[in-house]
Amino acid sequence: MAHVALKNVNKIYGSGTRAVHAVQDLNLDVESGEFVALLGPSGCGKTSTLRMIVGLESISSGDIFFDDRRVSDLEPQDRNVAMAFETYALYPNFTVWENLAFPLEVRGVSEVEQRQRANEIAELLHITPILDQYPPNLSGGQQQRVSLGRALIRDPSVFILDEVMSHLDAHLKFQMLFDLKRLHRDLKRTMVYVTHDQVEALALADRVAVMSNAVLQQVGDRNTLYNRPANVFVADFIGEPPTNFFTVEPAQNGDSIKMIVTNADLTFALTEQTAAAVKVHGGNRFTVGIRPQNLHLDDKGDLQAEVLINEYLGERSILSVANSQAKFRALVSPDVTAGPHSSVRFSYDPADVLVFDEKTEALIV
Amino acid sequence: MSDIVRGDPSTYPDWFSRKKSTTPLIVSRWVPAILVGIPVFVLLAIVIYPTVWMFYHSLRDTNIQGLFMGNHEYIGFQNYATVVGSERFQDSLVHLAQYLTFGACLQVIIGTALALTLYEFVKSNAARTVILIILVLPMMLPPSIVGVLWRFLLTPSNGAVNQALLSLGLIDAHIEWFNAGVSLWSIIIADCWNWVALPLLIVYSGRVSLPPAVYEAARVDGANQWKVMRRITLPMLKEVIAIAFILRFTDAFKFVDLVYVMTSGGPAQTSELPTYIAFQRGIREFAIGEAAAYAIIIFAISAVLITLFLKYMKRVMKAQGLA
Repeated sequence: MAHVALKNVNKIYGSGTRAVHAVQDLNLDVESGEFVALLGPSGCGKTSTLRMIVGLESISSGDIFFDDRRVSDLEPQDRNVAMAFETYALYPNFTVWENLAFPLEVRGVSEVEQRQRANEIAELLHITPILDQYPPNLSGGQQQRVSLGRALIRDPSVFILDEVMSHLDAHLKFQMLFDLKRLHRDLKRTMVYVTHDQVEALALADRVAVMSNAVLQQVGDRNTLYNRPANVFVADFIGEPPTNFFTVEPAQNGDSIKMIVTNADLTFALTEQTAAAVKVHGGNRFTVGIRPQNLHLDDKGDLQAEVLINEYLGERSILSVANSQAKFRALVSPDVTAGPHSSVRFSYDPADVLVFDEKTEALIV
Repeated sequence: MSDIVRGDPSTYPDWFSRKKSTTPLIVSRWVPAILVGIPVFVLLAIVIYPTVWMFYHSLRDTNIQGLFMGNHEYIGFQNYATVVGSERFQDSLVHLAQYLTFGACLQVIIGTALALTLYEFVKSNAARTVILIILVLPMMLPPSIVGVLWRFLLTPSNGAVNQALLSLGLIDAHIEWFNAGVSLWSIIIADCWNWVALPLLIVYSGRVSLPPAVYEAARVDGANQWKVMRRITLPMLKEVIAIAFILRFTDAFKFVDLVYVMTSGGPAQTSELPTYIAFQRGIREFAIGEAAAYAIIIFAISAVLITLFLKYMKRVMKAQGLA
């Protein structure tokens, strides 16, 4: 178990005009025993970051520390990291138990102890019945467990999981989410988990690091990411369906400020605190965001709109609505029957209104 | 028309129920028969018929004159008895074993070693391509050229090989490369040079297609290069190496060209392989019946060996869930 620190880490692939800056000035601290998820869309640099932590990819500039040990130039075998791969990467010519024991075998552990540890891990992951089978004969879920087991069998400084659930079906995924959570609680290992699926990230991690375009956007627990997203990207990326955005112009009304949507007949009220922050920030155009679940159907509400589509999704429905040029969505109870062309009104809590700078897209607080 | 109700065919557009055209795409029902017939005929003509013909004559006292005049008689398995009982054939089996062990096997081992060394130690793609091309060049030469080339290189008095060994101080006197007992080794050396690139190419392409993630996993697990080679790479390449073996083994059973060009089986028949004797007896000495018996015996030996090999492969692959 170790504390992991990334300091101004950069990764540049290629050189000259074809150079790609895959990770830019990344600073991240993972506390000892903490479970951190690296979340971002494909190509955002999260896997590059993780491969630099493991040592499979060289670091263009910056440093990585495990506790106080600088590991930037060490080979993966010298860093004492364990990794579970997206493609499982099991040794196809080994049985399951040989796969589990291989990290011990290369460390010269006696075969008796290898057997014993492999049995313990198999017990933990419920794979005892398949110990003598070969990986190609196993299902995806079983292979995933074996690959987790192979990583868990020794005592690594950091335990790294690379999109380990992207090839599992929904049912297995929830089972594995539960198991991983249980493993982390029982083993208290430092874990870094890379995924593009926000459900996995928010369900598992103590803190989530959101990346986009090679840049770390925000690190925080799920409440912070949900209620105080650092910028438009995080607000858009976290949450399903994504946050509704409107371009607005402020209108001063005594002490309070109202945000008037430029392309629709909609107005958002702000809390005093936000209004003060906007006043300090200055400017005459902003982006306002409000989450679909924070819009409530209410006949006396301020926001009027016409229903475009009512999507029934089982335990909830998504209403896609429009007010002149502005289209947005609201999460409503599935028994709402409002069909296309009907008129609805929404109310909201001014505390749920997020105001972003229009140029920098940063949250104004 | 516009209100299509699912499950109610009366509302479907009319193209849905329109009768399909009855004109078949292919006019005659003979077409499939002809399409199958052509390859069957070719197979019969160039594989089945000669084999049956050969088996037929292996049971008769056919020589070249008898073949053309049509007078040859059934003599049972006398040809087979002659072949199996002859010292010449028994010696040639020993030579074949020597060739299989030190020719075919060694080629696969050297080829595998070269392929893995190339993959592990040469990282630039351009360099790899250049080295591969150089290594594959000998394979592109016709065997007759290879034979003549190595006859020159191995000429005892002033051949390049003896000169090189002498000047390096590795030997004190000329090696008589074409004396009895040595000439088969000369053939094996030339054959190695000629064919080592085949197992090399097969194993190299096998190594290229192994999943990189497994190697990353091994690095993270802490295995050193030697461990990875011994425990992961070689076992994963088992099937590929077996294929290289099979190819070189099948080639070994029809290996005539270099023997003919370099030694003609000599001196005193000490470098003869069974196939060479079959060639010699049939094409040179016109003992068609006996040559046919040789061919059938060689076929039987190779069939047994290769069946055993495939059985083993199948067992290995079954255990790993690959077949």
